[in-house]
Amino acid sequence: MSDINDLVANILKQVNNSDTASTGATQSSSTSVSDDKQYGVKDYPLYEKHRDIIRTPSGKALNDVTLDDIQNNRVDRKDLRITAEALKMQGDVAGDAGRKTLQMNFDRAAELTKIPDDRLLEMYNALRPYRSSKDELLSIANELRTTYDANICAAWFEEAAKYYESRKKLKGDK
Amino acid sequence: MKRQKRFEKLEQRPINKDVIVKEWPEEGFVAMKSPNDPEPSVKVENGIITEMDGKKREDFDLIDMYIANYGINIDNAEKVMATDSAKIAKMLIDPNVSHKDVLKYTTAMTPAKGQDVICQLDFGEMIMGAKKMRERRKPANQSHVTNYIDNPVELAADAAEAALRGFAEEETTTAVSRDAPFNALSVLVGSQTGRPGVLHQCSVDEATELQLGMRGLTSYAETISVYGTDRSFTDGDDTPWSKGFLASCYASRGIKMRFTSGSGSEVLMGYPEGKSMLYLEARCILLSKASGVQGLQNGSLSCISIPTAVPNGLREVLGENLLCMMYDLEAATGSDQSFSHSSMRRTWRFMGQFIGGTDFICSGFGAEPNPDNTFAGSNEDVYDYDDIHFLSRDYGQSFGIHSIKEEDAINVRRKAAKSLQIVFKGLGLPAITDEEVEAATYADVHEDMPKRDKVADMKAAQDMMDRGITAVDVIKALVDGDVKDVAEAILNLQKQKVVGDYLQTSAIFDDKWHVESAVNEGNDYQGPGTGYRLYDDPEEWKKVTDIPQVIDPEHFDM
Repeated sequence: MSDINDLVANILKQVNNSDTASTGATQSSSTSVSDDKQYGVKDYPLYEKHRDIIRTPSGKALNDVTLDDIQNNRVDRKDLRITAEALKMQGDVAGDAGRKTLQMNFDRAAELTKIPDDRLLEMYNALRPYRSSKDELLSIANELRTTYDANICAAWFEEAAKYYESRKKLKGDK
Repeated sequence: MKRQKRFEKLEQRPINKDVIVKEWPEEGFVAMKSPNDPEPSVKVENGIITEMDGKKREDFDLIDMYIANYGINIDNAEKVMATDSAKIAKMLIDPNVSHKDVLKYTTAMTPAKGQDVICQLDFGEMIMGAKKMRERRKPANQSHVTNYIDNPVELAADAAEAALRGFAEEETTTAVSRDAPFNALSVLVGSQTGRPGVLHQCSVDEATELQLGMRGLTSYAETISVYGTDRSFTDGDDTPWSKGFLASCYASRGIKMRFTSGSGSEVLMGYPEGKSMLYLEARCILLSKASGVQGLQNGSLSCISIPTAVPNGLREVLGENLLCMMYDLEAATGSDQSFSHSSMRRTWRFMGQFIGGTDFICSGFGAEPNPDNTFAGSNEDVYDYDDIHFLSRDYGQSFGIHSIKEEDAINVRRKAAKSLQIVFKGLGLPAITDEEVEAATYADVHEDMPKRDKVADMKAAQDMMDRGITAVDVIKALVDGDVKDVAEAILNLQKQKVVGDYLQTSAIFDDKWHVESAVNEGNDYQGPGTGYRLYDDPEEWKKVTDIPQVIDPEHFDM
């Protein structure tokens, strides 16, 4: 186990300085998809039916990401990632297919696209049993809401804080 | 006593090395129904579940609370809970009731109700249920790609061969955890060389696994384990809320993900609370549903020796696979760990999943000989390939894989090893020699490979992470080395992550990157003449029937 722990610790340490960590809310305005449009089963697969409107986080169209672009360093290492907009579209598809819990997961995920990798891993670790006090969980909820506009995930942390307290999973409860 | 000769010989048969035990409900050694299991019940007040399976909301543990808040379709719950379990069980095998109509009932069941419905079914009826309730129209399969010394060149060659054989997903893990980045990289390059569109994962601890996915070095994750009792869950170092959050972390990076659970895990961890394996697994399935993951790997998995030690064990295992499908989840159905000394019992282990057809019949099938399987050996390995092809041919039933020609295997293994050689060179990793490429091309076991400097490889693997290497660097190295088709495949995989079509339920890709999932290729089985049939799929049927072992009557010397 110590091997794994060392590796994780080193990865976390390195990610802090790594250019693979996404740099926060830097989504280009060109990525925005009109909010009121509802996608559904008929729009799926989006890659075949809506490739034109899906963008990378920096705003590149998928057809503008070619081997030639990569060879000539025109594609950033961290740019081949899903955006909140694409996740919302996939959420629409899942909901239309009758899978509400999958849609809820994609809604949470859409909020998390803005959070850097290292911070996201820390947040996950804080939710594990006996790791955090109630205040620490509520403080992350506050950060999610104010820094990342992640209201669903903030509520997730608040709900966890409530139940961790009554079901004894907070720091010191062990 | 003077020994009777036949009994003496029987005693020496392999089957009699298998361990079986009497039921012991207090310690959870009971497959389908324990006297300590709760009776199904639900009470809904103002849209909130206030009682579930005999427990009041104030007495819910975290798992109960999570399931009650998120897992159950509350709108239908009271109606469904008042419906006779035998009636719901009959819908599963009634060709007049569609997959969608069954789901209206089954997604509103509490864990004890789900258990009760499964208990109405015998093994054959479960197979019928799986035929209809599997999510994807066409079954598929998953392989393990590992070797005992984490040799990267052999991993790439084995990954390529497995991809060519038709596996839709490949799972690697490590002999030594520090090798994880190299294993992920090797299987990435190998799988996309063998057949563009194959998905792959590297099963390591949760945080590393997510990190590898974030860098594009893997494309899905599976070993996100959940358990059916609170103490087991806590011992697994998670809560339902942390696992649910982790599910969203994966989706936020465009990585396909399913949870993992399986009967017998709570027994092994020492906290079954006197409940049956099926009841606890029903809780795991509902936890997964509540988390909003698209699927689940279950069917006892590495704990398979526990249910198979008690009566109805393998009936329970297929039952938990079916229950997963009944909650509208992708099912990767195990058969991934060796458990029996008997060839006959080993074969029957997967017959229900094979004849019923599941999203991933095995999770996974050893794409290396078992001594090189660092998951501790699968129920099926490379030496079973031809047996499987004969069974597919005999029954006209898909196993998700097909026969390949020896020369094609040699070519694709060489190409994968060479591609990895080019990637290692491009990324400044310890060189792969031409001798290694040649050895991997013809290798069967890790002993066939020249020795590498393990320490240098481990350091380089860590350094690769430190330098922030991602799939983009891998693509660049392949383009620089003029292996454009493999580079293009890895680029397409990254583009698919940007779009996220393969985050939907039961998604896989064909070799043209067309996604096949429950959304666009959902299971339409509804009785005889409907659904996917291997013998009606000309291209696949040819791959299964037109194999090198077949003798053509024209060549008979009459």
